[in-house]
Amino acid sequence: MDPEISHFETEMNRGFLQILVLAMLEKDMYGYSMVRTIRDLGYEVEENTLYPLLRRLEKNGWVKSKWDVSEDRPRKFYGITEAGRGLRAELLEIWKKQDQILKHILEETSHV
Amino acid sequence: MFEKLEAYLEEISHFLSGREEREEILSEIRSHILEKTEQEFGEATESSLAKVIAAYGPARRVAEKYLDGRPIIAPAFKRFLFRYTALLFGLHFILTVVAVVSQESFLMFPIVYVPSMGPFEALFYLPMAFLFDLGVVTLVLYLITQSKKDVKLPWPRFSVDLDEVKTSGRTIGRTIGLILMTALTGTALYFYVQYRTIFFVNLDFAQHRPIFTPEAGQLYSLILMGLWALGTISLAAKLVTPSPWVDAVEKGLSLVLLGLAFRQPLDTALAVHLPEGLVPWFNLSLTITLLVVCIFVAIDLIKALVRIGRRRLAK
Repeated sequence: MDPEISHFETEMNRGFLQILVLAMLEKDMYGYSMVRTIRDLGYEVEENTLYPLLRRLEKNGWVKSKWDVSEDRPRKFYGITEAGRGLRAELLEIWKKQDQILKHILEETSHV
Repeated sequence: MFEKLEAYLEEISHFLSGREEREEILSEIRSHILEKTEQEFGEATESSLAKVIAAYGPARRVAEKYLDGRPIIAPAFKRFLFRYTALLFGLHFILTVVAVVSQESFLMFPIVYVPSMGPFEALFYLPMAFLFDLGVVTLVLYLITQSKKDVKLPWPRFSVDLDEVKTSGRTIGRTIGLILMTALTGTALYFYVQYRTIFFVNLDFAQHRPIFTPEAGQLYSLILMGLWALGTISLAAKLVTPSPWVDAVEKGLSLVLLGLAFRQPLDTALAVHLPEGLVPWFNLSLTITLLVVCIFVAIDLIKALVRIGRRRLAK
């Protein structure tokens, strides 16, 4: 990919990944399972970006976590909190509004 | 226990030192890497782990994503660093000259202490003063950045910026500069004609003691006077024409003159006796000073060439 495009994609991913994670964590998941799920949907996230993001969301009380040590390999599961649901709703509103504006502008300019 | 994985985690741990959740971060990364390796390669071996680790990213980059991104000095304050240092050093420099001439000490606690000294000691004192000034300004800007307060710092305009200085201010500044530079060059020329050098240890001209040997003193004096003369001519030319070629020619010739200074072997340049251990340090500091001056002149030359290029592009 063109490095310029890659740079823009990284910038755009920052906001998108937060909404995506908050949407996915309605069901408890651990980091690697989230990476796989996103990849199966045809999208890539940098693994080393996902974990710090989860940590920041947890620090702010938007997600909670617990270690599952029942299997051979311990896994840290994350789930959304009530505060996280509130944040998700607000972020989705912003995202929808941005999407509407962009669609409107693109429709208008397509006739130019 | 996999050596590569443990070494990788150890490296991340090193960059995360001081963070209380470090062990948990490392456990999560370990778990992720082992699971991904098994899922994608069937079994975790040193070679399969190496591929997964490489895909996860360099340890420093991984660790940086967990750290708060607050800079040491906020980007908005970076341009203040050199301007404020230049102001403080300017004050230091003037007080040093006064201290040398008057043989008085000056104290403005805690930022300025200029002891009474001779011209030779001043050569050692000024580089240290510059580093101190840079440190003080850095510390102040660091504290302002970390306080997260929206502080508006004054922006003194005392030098010629590329595009932002008004013409009338320029003319007055250049006229004053021209007078000062003419006086400086003329005085230096007078001393050179009298003593064949302009570098002295003492200011008692009845029993003057030059810093450098006659040969080195002549060369360094001619170079310095040449630089001042070029500056004087350049200021005079700028009063007549705004052409960026004036700067380009002045800086180009200055670089040639500075290059000549490197032709004189420093080991044999000193006429004064220095303690044995100090000689290499003196040579090193003189070389570094010359190099720094060359770099600044080269930057000015590049600026002038950029302005020439921009003018051509605009045309």
